[in-house]
Amino acid sequence: MLEFRTSGFNPYSVKYSPFFDSRLAVGGGANFGLVGNGRLYALNLNSNGIVCEKFFETQDCLFDLTWSEQHENQILTAGGDGSLKLFDLGVGEFPVAGWQEHGREVFSVHWNLVKKDTFLSSSWDGTVKIWTPERKESVATLPVHSCVYSAQFSPHHPDVVTCVSRDSHLRVFDLRTKPSAQNHMTLAIPIHAPPKVSAPGMMNQTAGPTECLTHDWNKYRDSVIATAGVDTMIRTFDLRVPSGPVNMLPGHEYAVRRVSWSPHLSDVLLSASYDMTCRVWTDGSNVEQGGTGTGLGREMGRMDRHTEFTMGVDWCLFGAEGWCATCAWDERVLVWDVRDVMRG
Amino acid sequence: MANQTPKRAAAEERLSQVAAHVNSTGSNAVLQKHPDDIVVTTALRTAICKGGRGQFKDTPAADLLHGAFTSLIQRSGIDPSIVEDIAVGSVLPPGGGATEFRAAALAAGFSEGTAVKSLNRQCSSGLQACVDIANAIKCGMIDIGIGAGVESMSTQYGPQAVTEFSELLEEHKKAAECKVPMGVLSEQMAKDKSISRKDQDKFAADSYKKAAEAQKKGLFDEEIAPLKVKYEDPKTEKVSEITVSKDDGVREATFESLSKIKPAFAKDGSIHAGNASQISDGAAAVLLMKRSTAERLGQKVLGKYVAASVVGVPPLLMGIGPWKAIPVALQKAGVSKEDVDIFEINEAFASQCLWCVNELGLPMEKVNPKGGAIAFGHPLGCTGARQISTLLYELKRTGKQVGVTSMCVGTGMGMAAVWVAE
Repeated sequence: MLEFRTSGFNPYSVKYSPFFDSRLAVGGGANFGLVGNGRLYALNLNSNGIVCEKFFETQDCLFDLTWSEQHENQILTAGGDGSLKLFDLGVGEFPVAGWQEHGREVFSVHWNLVKKDTFLSSSWDGTVKIWTPERKESVATLPVHSCVYSAQFSPHHPDVVTCVSRDSHLRVFDLRTKPSAQNHMTLAIPIHAPPKVSAPGMMNQTAGPTECLTHDWNKYRDSVIATAGVDTMIRTFDLRVPSGPVNMLPGHEYAVRRVSWSPHLSDVLLSASYDMTCRVWTDGSNVEQGGTGTGLGREMGRMDRHTEFTMGVDWCLFGAEGWCATCAWDERVLVWDVRDVMRG
Repeated sequence: MANQTPKRAAAEERLSQVAAHVNSTGSNAVLQKHPDDIVVTTALRTAICKGGRGQFKDTPAADLLHGAFTSLIQRSGIDPSIVEDIAVGSVLPPGGGATEFRAAALAAGFSEGTAVKSLNRQCSSGLQACVDIANAIKCGMIDIGIGAGVESMSTQYGPQAVTEFSELLEEHKKAAECKVPMGVLSEQMAKDKSISRKDQDKFAADSYKKAAEAQKKGLFDEEIAPLKVKYEDPKTEKVSEITVSKDDGVREATFESLSKIKPAFAKDGSIHAGNASQISDGAAAVLLMKRSTAERLGQKVLGKYVAASVVGVPPLLMGIGPWKAIPVALQKAGVSKEDVDIFEINEAFASQCLWCVNELGLPMEKVNPKGGAIAFGHPLGCTGARQISTLLYELKRTGKQVGVTSMCVGTGMGMAAVWVAE
């Protein structure tokens, strides 16, 4: 397990570079992101462990970041002051571009994996905005009317956008549709709805709507999304059966801050929670791995070396299939192999 | 445009957001206090009096409203010049009452800088007024506002309150259904949904009993602001000034006495004067602002507004409005019906209220614990605002927290709102 200390800053997000297996970016802020400056770190993994290649200072906390899919040196950040900033590791100490439209904290940014000249942002101001680096103004604004903690492009379709928000809904937008009264929205799934098929022995009653903090598209199954949030439950949804969750993964003791599907295995995901643990799960869909196909997911292991709220997780896209990075309010970034914590 | 929230407030909001992530599971979330909560610092009403022969029979609506306003200023101690907008729900006055309500606000001591509007969503007008103000505060249009409701059915009830339907409307089936009298359609609904006369009378008798007991114990005293009005004695024609501080519609009525009353809308019908809401006069007002504003001004918080819903239902089944509206409001608030301690559901008719309660599976002891419109009246535009003071004071008295107010709305709608007492 490798470790990097972000002394004086509490990280909110960690992301592996899509171009190099040894490059990581970490964003966070002073004073737990409540008030004060933010900082973006570009980290390198080498034989000495994790070393800081460069860092950038900002005037407010960075709640999220995403690597550019176009340019190997560029990182986009989500600022507490409502700004988006594009930093270039080869260019000075200031951002090479900035965008300011959101009225409140930006909580997530995501680069389109297919149409690589497009990215999005989501904010406490209740909107998701679509952008292109060439233009100063957003290309589209998708109103959600509730604090949007997380928004993503589908990795399978360049025009499909999803987001989860404070109001406990998973919304799906299709930018190919006409901008009607629905503003491109094609689905709004209540996350707290009871599961479509109730599984024996599972908790089928939910406590009602709670804030949803994170979601992620499965990289292999093009209609599957995982969500998680304040009610501690990780859920998987299949957009082909949008009425309720397909699978529920209970276990975390406090709110789940982030989930991420494995880029290597179609049934495996990783979560980070306010309970200070990061956990590895299977949703039980992989029959070859002993899953039942539709059936019951389970926790496969946990990493409890963080000593404060864990906020970020990401998988390494390259090499062996278990490497990941996590960050927490304990001012640490850990790089580790999930296979080390999996129980037989 | 940079983040316009001052730094310290922003930090506080971020902190409470994180705190909410860690603390909340389900209903606890609505109990948490945030600086941007919309809170009620004062909620009061006049007494509600019988239409046509009650103690307010000679008092115009604007005077009732004036009474509610002056009491509100006095009780809250708020500087009237910092109230930015007042919304008044009212159903019957010609022109919506816009002119006389603005005049009433000025006469009550509000400055000319305080805007006033009137609005009409039938029986939910009072609630709509409060929700409009809450929303205006929430989105930053105003900081302090009053939601109110008033109705003088004594002076303004009658055919002049509804415009004749055009040929176009008369020929459209659904549209024409909007003017079927509420008694007639509720009678049909009671028949179709087989709500028996016996059940309705029992529900009504309970309402009378609860209201009489509450009145005897003085449970309405906190919410009622006494009002001095002129009253002409119908026998002697002598005009005198009286102080009204009690609902005069509350009376002793038992299941047996109610079962003797003749049906009002059909010979074989089940609805009668004793199991439908009374025609009444009254006014109510609710002072709303953000929690941060209340703290700054030293206003004591009575409760907070959480969420509201408005829904449409078939015009002929307008009575089912609460059944459709309540789950929507609960969902928006993020609470389950089990989390709710008190439901104030307007008793337009015993039949429709009872049906909604049963269909939603609500325990009867949580519904209208101090009685309802059957016992003390339903001054149309006032009711929605009246329910808020009734609810919040009862939640407070019983040490409970989560409440819902709801009502059916003529022409086929329903509204509901979720409140938390503090």
